[in-house]
Amino acid sequence: MHENLRKMVREAEAHAAEPKMTRAAPWDTQPYSIKRDGINIINCDDEPVRTPGCIQAHGALLVLRLADLSILQASENTHAILGQSAQQLLGQSVAAVVKAEGAARLRSVLATDATDRNPIYAFTLPASEQVAAMDVTLHTQGGVVILEFEATGRSQPGTATGPVAPGPRNQPDFYSIIKKTVARLQTMATVQTFCQALADEVRLLSGMDRVMIYKFHADHHGEVFAESRQSHLAPWLGLHYPAEDIPMPARDIFAKTWIRPVPDINGALAEMTPLLNPDTGMPVDMTFCALRGVSVMYTEYLQNMGVSAGLTMPLRRDNVLWGLIACHHYSGPHHVPYELRAACEFLAQVGSLQHRAVEDRENAAYRLQLEDVNQQLLTRAAQEGGLASMTDGVPSLLGAMHAGGAALYHRDRWWRVGQTPDDSQLEALGQWLVERLDAGSLVSPLYATQSLAVDYPPGAVFADVASGLLAVPLSRSGQNQMMWFRPEVKKTVNWGGNPHDKPMVTGPHGSRLTPRRSFELFSESVHQQALPWLQVEIDAVARLRALIMELGIVRAERLAGLNAELARSNEELDAFAYVASHDLKEPLRGIHKYAHQLMEAAPANEEERRKLDGLMRLTLRMDSLLDSLLHFSRVGREELTLENVDLNDVLADALEMVGSRTEDGRTQIVAPRALPLIMCDRVRVREVLVNLLSNALKYNDKAAQRVEVGFIDAHESAPRQGFPDSTDGHTVYYVRDNGIGIAPRHFDQVFKMFKRLHGREEYGGGTGVGLTIVRKLVERHRGQVWLESRGGEGSTFFFTLGGADDSQHV
Amino acid sequence: MTASMSDLIVASILVVEDSDEDFDTLCDAAAKAGVTRMIQRVLSGGDCLAMLRGEIDVGLPLLPALILMDLHSHVVDGREALVAIKPDASLKEIPLGVLTTSASPKDVAFCYQAGVNAYHVKPVRHDQYLLLLRSLLNYWLVSATLPPTLVKVD
Repeated sequence: MHENLRKMVREAEAHAAEPKMTRAAPWDTQPYSIKRDGINIINCDDEPVRTPGCIQAHGALLVLRLADLSILQASENTHAILGQSAQQLLGQSVAAVVKAEGAARLRSVLATDATDRNPIYAFTLPASEQVAAMDVTLHTQGGVVILEFEATGRSQPGTATGPVAPGPRNQPDFYSIIKKTVARLQTMATVQTFCQALADEVRLLSGMDRVMIYKFHADHHGEVFAESRQSHLAPWLGLHYPAEDIPMPARDIFAKTWIRPVPDINGALAEMTPLLNPDTGMPVDMTFCALRGVSVMYTEYLQNMGVSAGLTMPLRRDNVLWGLIACHHYSGPHHVPYELRAACEFLAQVGSLQHRAVEDRENAAYRLQLEDVNQQLLTRAAQEGGLASMTDGVPSLLGAMHAGGAALYHRDRWWRVGQTPDDSQLEALGQWLVERLDAGSLVSPLYATQSLAVDYPPGAVFADVASGLLAVPLSRSGQNQMMWFRPEVKKTVNWGGNPHDKPMVTGPHGSRLTPRRSFELFSESVHQQALPWLQVEIDAVARLRALIMELGIVRAERLAGLNAELARSNEELDAFAYVASHDLKEPLRGIHKYAHQLMEAAPANEEERRKLDGLMRLTLRMDSLLDSLLHFSRVGREELTLENVDLNDVLADALEMVGSRTEDGRTQIVAPRALPLIMCDRVRVREVLVNLLSNALKYNDKAAQRVEVGFIDAHESAPRQGFPDSTDGHTVYYVRDNGIGIAPRHFDQVFKMFKRLHGREEYGGGTGVGLTIVRKLVERHRGQVWLESRGGEGSTFFFTLGGADDSQHV
Repeated sequence: MTASMSDLIVASILVVEDSDEDFDTLCDAAAKAGVTRMIQRVLSGGDCLAMLRGEIDVGLPLLPALILMDLHSHVVDGREALVAIKPDASLKEIPLGVLTTSASPKDVAFCYQAGVNAYHVKPVRHDQYLLLLRSLLNYWLVSATLPPTLVKVD
């Protein structure tokens, strides 16, 4: 025995020894046959599609014992196809059908070709008086040889040309057709155009009315991804179908075989005689048979759609079923003969092999697009010093990404573009993500889902816009985030079987499920589901995050550089303060001393005395300017001492310090109500009050001076007209006088160092640094100071003490 | 005057001052206060240390009864001399007053941390400066009792 044959026999024996599966179906206790039991099918996943017990009656099938090629089983229609009844053939050598030379040819093919689970054309059985010429294909499976006989498409000497033998030579040049087709497929840039071309070529080759590329999604639901059809047919492109339309057993078979022809949906079935192999007691496994009897569910479903003939081929990627090439014919039976089928099958294999390359090509293009937009986003962010332009500018975060919306948390607020949840929803989602993502992790932290509500139940509320979420943190703390949203599939797809659409269409394959039932099942399967994120997209997001973080680091470095520079200039300011205090004051003291001594030496005349007086006065003025400068520089640099302070005490201290002015009886200082207790630096707030109070008194020429010190509470409904927006929510303090007032054009001037609105000796003089120091002190408390005044009618100085200036000065 | 008049002949006042005008004012004030002690002047903190350690011989048998130091002399900063004098067991008894233009709280704190006995800010007004000097000389040399080692005649 040939080694190949010996091996097959061993496999057959092993197969026979396998225990039977126990299942509670009617055919468990007796052999299954579609003809007898098909009507009992209730669950399509249970149907024994591999051992249907029947074949399509347009051809005949013989099961031969591998060892001697004697006939073990025959389809019941052999008389019509081969001219001899099954009963006549059983037990005989195959030579009874194919003659001695046919049997010899079979032996030679079995010995030399890889026939296991792989149907191979052996020869064409010539026509006789009773029967037409037949293409004979064989394959081995489970220890038997399976011979299939189908009317040939080849021209036969002396016989009429078959219906599908095109071309003048009656032998189509499949090689050149395929070669051209493959070359064309290789030029396609996207999976979509590739599939379209594949559908076009298969329709051209097969002559079927409609050819669809049917794509399985991760949840097994399908989509008509490309379609080529007769122009009068309604388009099904873009329709989605529930996973149930292509049941599991059917998907399994397409993972194994390359073609599934059903030339006549309404054609008869021929049962095997006997139903079980007498050697093994097993039904024949028809997984690889072109003639395999058609599932009742499949037949019914296709009939409902008006399909009269079908041809299906799988598209696989890395040996996983990716989709189907589904061909429909509507105008009666359509027999695609073996040779043409082989060509179609070859296209399906090319399609499967090329698919990956095309997808890579498309991904590469998409990656480039995403990267290009990333670069533009980054460039703009770097120029503008912020990320706001990522949602406001063009392109935005949605520039290349296939998403419905995007959001960004940056500088304490959300920035949104496209369809997104609202701010409060984003806020809650962001908090959840902070806990979910380990933002400090060394590997890029990233969250991607196509069904947010599963992980995050509150997300169900906005599932319509954000069933899909792709999120990354932008800072170590995780508070700053970047997100993309994808809408629920239900909103984005058209689907077959939608009861609201007319006319109703059903899937290219299917179960006994009604369209309405399909719709409901599908509705469930895509409920709160979005299309999945592609690896390319996830990679692009991770890359954008890295770039932004890098930008952040660059900015942090720049900031650190500025801080160092600031520290240096602060030190220089310190040094300047010493220069001012010592090196400038020392000569000043010398000048004053000499002027003083000259004065003591009794000046000759009044004129000289006046000049010496002036000299001494100027040195003293210089001295006080230097003191003010020193004081101001200390105010800005020294740290605040924050404590709970009763402002009433502070006011009392301040009044005491300006006291000499208030004792003259013409001055009234009032506080309409008790001031609050706040957190602040007691000494510095006192200095603010002292400065404001002494100004209020100093620049006042009224006979009865009145000064009011009060506050407007943060939550008070008192008018805040003219108050800066940024003081909303803060308590505003004020010192109001009935003094000389300040013209509005001078409002800014009064806060400038050494700026005086009046002559040096008017209103008691002064260096003009008081309000500058007030502003500095208020700012150190993160507050603001401003004023209201009308000339001659007094001024009101307002200020807030927003809280501690918690940034440590350098 | 007091019982220690005889001591005043020998125990000097050491002044660290690089400004001639300010030193003049000091001498003026000392004269007006009736101080008869010798006033020894050095220009820098470095010279002050060298003198106290006997590295410069100025022919004086005794350590000074009082040191008055300007903190910001140009050559060697007075602060360097301060931190060297006070930890030195043989020198730390000498009363040391700082006289400086700086009113910076940082400087004041630093000096007291270093162990100075008094900190004075020099006013720009000449009459006020004179007043200040007269009162501090009077305080240290008359009102206060100096350590015994600094008043011995032997």
